[in-house]
Amino acid sequence: MTLYEKITTLYTELTDADFMPDSGTIMLQNDSDGKGDYIREWNHPTLAKPTQEQLDGVQ
Amino acid sequence: MSTVKSKKLQVGTDASASNNFTIYQPATPDGTLRIGVGNADSPTEVGRFNSNGIVPKQSIISVVFPSTDTSASNSTFTKVSLDTITVDNDSSFDTTNNRFNPQIAGYYKIDAQVGFISASGGMLSEIYKNGSAANFRGNQQYHLTANRRNLPVTGVIYMNGSTDYLELYGFHGTGSTQSIAGTNSAHTRFSAYLIHQA
Repeated sequence: MTLYEKITTLYTELTDADFMPDSGTIMLQNDSDGKGDYIREWNHPTLAKPTQEQLDGVQ
Repeated sequence: MSTVKSKKLQVGTDASASNNFTIYQPATPDGTLRIGVGNADSPTEVGRFNSNGIVPKQSIISVVFPSTDTSASNSTFTKVSLDTITVDNDSSFDTTNNRFNPQIAGYYKIDAQVGFISASGGMLSEIYKNGSAANFRGNQQYHLTANRRNLPVTGVIYMNGSTDYLELYGFHGTGSTQSIAGTNSAHTRFSAYLIHQA
């Protein structure tokens, strides 16, 4: 399961628009360094940035 | 008519060497004529000519592509693993970190492209400078049908010749993980050319 899928499972109200470049408030990134996807920016006005524990708990 | 033969000719006799120029032949002749700032005993080269005319002081060309496909998650800016050099005459591309890191300051023309193997939806390519988006975004496209999509990004950018580096990223919002094409330079590539030292 990708990071995007975990986040949208945790917060079902999120849509692709929340992740869009420029207009979105959440930016995910992968630097192809073996560390995988990560949250580069989280500026959502109402939802808190999920903790690693929350993300790890998503099946 | 008299003929003067000399390996060096100093122009100017100012007390400050930086106000004088020297036209000279290099110690080991190589078919070039050099022009330097400074007195004849130690000029610093600023330009040269050969039988074809003026020779650019320095030229850099760097062309690289990824050797394998890069997996790109939905709605995630993903760095392209550029690791195979076609041309790199000044060792400007760091294939360990997959980044362009030229050692000559100046303005560089960048031509790059991200090729998604099969994607429908929104997608774009972007150049990052020093780890962040550099206001250097490429073609943004939206496609209703899945097919190979090549997204070019081009422009001119200043590099400081020491620490500045560029990376190529791709982004898509297709709803599922996609692949950025590797193997050869047909679809995904990065090219840089020094166009003006500064």
